[in-house]
Amino acid sequence: MQVEKDVSDSVSSPAQADSRRPVGQGQRRGIPRHVACVMDGNGRWAAQRSLPRTSGHRAAETTVIDVIEAARSAGVEWLSLYAFSTENWRRPSDEVDFLMHLVRRVVRKHAPLLHARGVRCRFLGVSDSKIPAPLAQDFDDLTTLTGANRGMTLTVAFDHGGRGDIVEAARSLIRQGVPADAVTEESFAARLPFPDTPDVDLVIRTSGEQRISNFMLWQVAYAEWVFTPVLWPDFRAAHFVECVHTYQQRDRRFGGVAPAVNGVPRP
Amino acid sequence: MTTNTQPDSSGSETTADQAFAQQNPHIDADPSLFGPGSQFHRLMNDPRWALAMVRATVLEAAHPQIGAALIDNSTFVAHPWRRLHNTFLSLQRMSDADDHVRQREAARLNRLHARLNGIGAHNQPYDAMDPQVRAWVVATLFESAVTMGRLGGQPLEQSAMERLYAEFQGYLAALGDKAGHLPPTLREFWQYYDRVVQEELENTEALRIILYKLFDHLPAPAVLEGMPTIWATGRALAGPVIGAITVASLPEPFRRRAGLPEIPGAQTLMQSAYLGVGLARFLPEGWIRADALASLLSLSPESDDPRARTISAVRDGIKRAGALLRLITPLPAQPDPADTTETQRSAEDFFHAVLDQTGDGYLDWPDLAAMAREISGRLDLEEPQETRLYNAYADWWKELQAALDSDGDGRICAEEFAAAVPALAGPALIKVADVLFDVTDADGNQSIDADEYRALFRTGFRRDMAATGSMYSRGEFVKDFLSFMSGRQRSTTYDPLLTQA
Repeated sequence: MQVEKDVSDSVSSPAQADSRRPVGQGQRRGIPRHVACVMDGNGRWAAQRSLPRTSGHRAAETTVIDVIEAARSAGVEWLSLYAFSTENWRRPSDEVDFLMHLVRRVVRKHAPLLHARGVRCRFLGVSDSKIPAPLAQDFDDLTTLTGANRGMTLTVAFDHGGRGDIVEAARSLIRQGVPADAVTEESFAARLPFPDTPDVDLVIRTSGEQRISNFMLWQVAYAEWVFTPVLWPDFRAAHFVECVHTYQQRDRRFGGVAPAVNGVPRP
Repeated sequence: MTTNTQPDSSGSETTADQAFAQQNPHIDADPSLFGPGSQFHRLMNDPRWALAMVRATVLEAAHPQIGAALIDNSTFVAHPWRRLHNTFLSLQRMSDADDHVRQREAARLNRLHARLNGIGAHNQPYDAMDPQVRAWVVATLFESAVTMGRLGGQPLEQSAMERLYAEFQGYLAALGDKAGHLPPTLREFWQYYDRVVQEELENTEALRIILYKLFDHLPAPAVLEGMPTIWATGRALAGPVIGAITVASLPEPFRRRAGLPEIPGAQTLMQSAYLGVGLARFLPEGWIRADALASLLSLSPESDDPRARTISAVRDGIKRAGALLRLITPLPAQPDPADTTETQRSAEDFFHAVLDQTGDGYLDWPDLAAMAREISGRLDLEEPQETRLYNAYADWWKELQAALDSDGDGRICAEEFAAAVPALAGPALIKVADVLFDVTDADGNQSIDADEYRALFRTGFRRDMAATGSMYSRGEFVKDFLSFMSGRQRSTTYDPLLTQA
């Protein structure tokens, strides 16, 4: 633990130079490769305006599209959005119904645009049978449609729980009869859903909440967290750029060791 | 309905063949009757032949005996593409230049036909070995080939027509039927043909099913599975067109008698279709061949055939187009997409996808016979293995009937099946698995190697199997077969074999 390398060194080392985007001026840390957003504050946004909670969710749509566009033009290669957790099923059933309907509309509305921008979309979680079949079909279709795209990869965590993923990976190891000694971080990570996803570099959580909330637990191990008081429906491209800037100012140390980055660079 | 499950092989075919050969020395004496230079061969490479075959099938179905046999036994409603492929393959073998190939195929067809007899609905007895019936099948093929030329604006010359007729006579002779059932000369043939059309053909149930049900509900060929939207859209357009074209090309006296509709413009449409498809002949050689197309359509996308990879690439493109189309279409009124990714299927699904091969909604002997037929066709079985396989299936049928036919009507419906699924894996089914292993294991070394596996499933070993050693033992084979047949487990290998359209 005492060997503390300078971070700018580790980031610009030759081994990583090709997988990480080169820094703007070559001086400081580059653009985070993988950014994740926990979209928080829709309900409060609506409450502040004395509107029903559902209108907060509706207002979130604009932000989602804005952030995708901002991330893409900033050169982020992987963007993950935390849309709906396994715990969210406990919300009132009309709100859940509304959310399902809204997501379906948003997916369909923006599918051609996302495809045209070369964004590869996929959905993390999406295993619960409570998800309506037509919505699951739309998720499937969007995944199929954009599967060959080589631009940014957008992972939407829908009905996702970080612990659930870890338990699933453990189960698959046990099922395959892998001996205990043979289990390594790498072999474990390879059994998580979408094993090609690299570790998260930056997590943005809006509305001032400072929790992990069971989100991509394995992948956020070394992530930098930026908490912004802005509510998600008010969050815009400018805020996103600001968060990235904050990240760039930070000194990432990875506990003093070079980071083991999950996943392989995509061709 | 009674069906003969224990046919005795007809030993008289060689003598009939010889007698015919003596009668018609010019046919059998001419070794070049078949093979690359023949009219028959030219026919097989003509894209219009596909249209003509559909027409011939309709004319066959209009024959009361053939119609009854089709209704009872044929898989053409549930598995039209597989059947089309098998028919092309058979015709191709029957016109092979090699005498041995022809004789083998003729013997196979004879065994197959000998199993098709019984009494159909409306007490219509049928027997696929009836020489009159077989003569009519050949007559429709010949007449459709001639008509194809006429409608396409390129009528056959008299000499070519004579030669083609001789070839079809040779076809019938190879099957061992006496020549007498097909008139000796072309002139007499037309009299015979007109008489049958005028007097014997009827508006049979099989005819109506082909014209009005099959074309409108044609299942997607295997290569296009997973794209139901695209297929349904194309079919909604193409189905009625094919139907109209076929009806318009039928002989006028028959259309009148059967009360088939006269659709305005259908004649023109039909002639343009024959003409247009005929123009495809001017494409470079090998671009369009009816038989290649037929085998393509019955190709399973998971197959490791090199063509399958090209198709996969095209499929991916079409899939993406389909996905985009679905995403941008305004929200439909809650469609219910079938969930095909699950490994378990419901008893009802299994009943319709696997067991009910003839697609009539009941499980009956012809359904199991169709499975045995498909398997023995794929493995190119000869006697006595073929009979062993059929017998195993027949025993299984008796077991099923005893266990599941609760209302005693002699056949099993989907509800009866669903109610008794656990009883399915009885000793007779295990016997089927055993026999299937034996006949697949062509060299009898008690394990199935990659080539034997490919013969049955038309694809190589799965990757995980290739890794564990390239053999498939009896125990594993029987286990997989039983888990597919009784556990209703989906299987990437058995599904293409038994469920594909």
